[in-house]
Amino acid sequence: MRSPAADRRRPTLWDGLTALLVATAAFLLLAALQSEPGESLTAAVTLDGEILAEYRLEEITQPVTLTLDELSYPLTLLVEGDGVSILHSDCPSQDCVHTGKITQAGQQIICLPNRLIVSLTGTHDLDFDAVTG
Amino acid sequence: MTHGLQRLTRSAVLTALALALSVAEGLVPLTILFPLPGLRLGLANLVTVYALCRLSGREALLILTARCLLGSLLGGNLMALAFSLTGGLLALAVMALLVHLPGLSLFGVSIAGAAAHNTGQILAAIVVLGSRAPLVYLPPLLLCSLVTGAVTGGVSMLLVQRLPAPGRA
Repeated sequence: MRSPAADRRRPTLWDGLTALLVATAAFLLLAALQSEPGESLTAAVTLDGEILAEYRLEEITQPVTLTLDELSYPLTLLVEGDGVSILHSDCPSQDCVHTGKITQAGQQIICLPNRLIVSLTGTHDLDFDAVTG
Repeated sequence: MTHGLQRLTRSAVLTALALALSVAEGLVPLTILFPLPGLRLGLANLVTVYALCRLSGREALLILTARCLLGSLLGGNLMALAFSLTGGLLALAVMALLVHLPGLSLFGVSIAGAAAHNTGQILAAIVVLGSRAPLVYLPPLLLCSLVTGAVTGGVSMLLVQRLPAPGRA
């Protein structure tokens, strides 16, 4: 089975174009996902599609910890006035903990083993301007 | 008969190699440097590229499937299997197409494969979560796949050229 790609010894122009295509796709997607920065941030904790808890960050003066023991891998969330982070999780991968603190609209912490999503959305103060995603 | 035996042995050795590479990679996860869920160097992809270039698409598919199944038995779970299989199959499909195009080298093939792998993983995550939330991870993952794809592409280029073609040795 002959393949021209297998016999080349150096990158070609087409390789550059492939890389450019991937980069363009990344930036287009990034732009499409960019959410409108709102005046205030709302953090929503969603488990398996259902909202468990919602916090308006501007109303948080003292950091709040939320411990979810009923999950398959119990975890602890820290909600602060400027963002949300996961303090501790019993899951093996620890991806959610490594994500760190999310502070901007559109950012998310995803815990796949638990099917848990913590998302920040920007909300305007007017009710009819609410954005759902 | 001897020919069939040769193919079987070759595929088995390559599967073991792919498995060992992916386990070894798990020991030094890139996510420590750069916390992005799903980020991997994709060393096992070297074996897929080699199999595509020097064996056949069918063998590459067999090796990939066996590696994913065995890998999930070794350290993962069913969900990890869903991710590695969707990503791996999509990457293999894309690379199998591109490897026969004139004009591309293994750099381009590997970059496209890495990008396809990440896209497949994110698609699997979207299905598992029932939400399009994981899509936010795709742009940074795609940008990382430029680097990881170029690295594995460079290595696979060396590998394919330095290793004697099987069956003729």
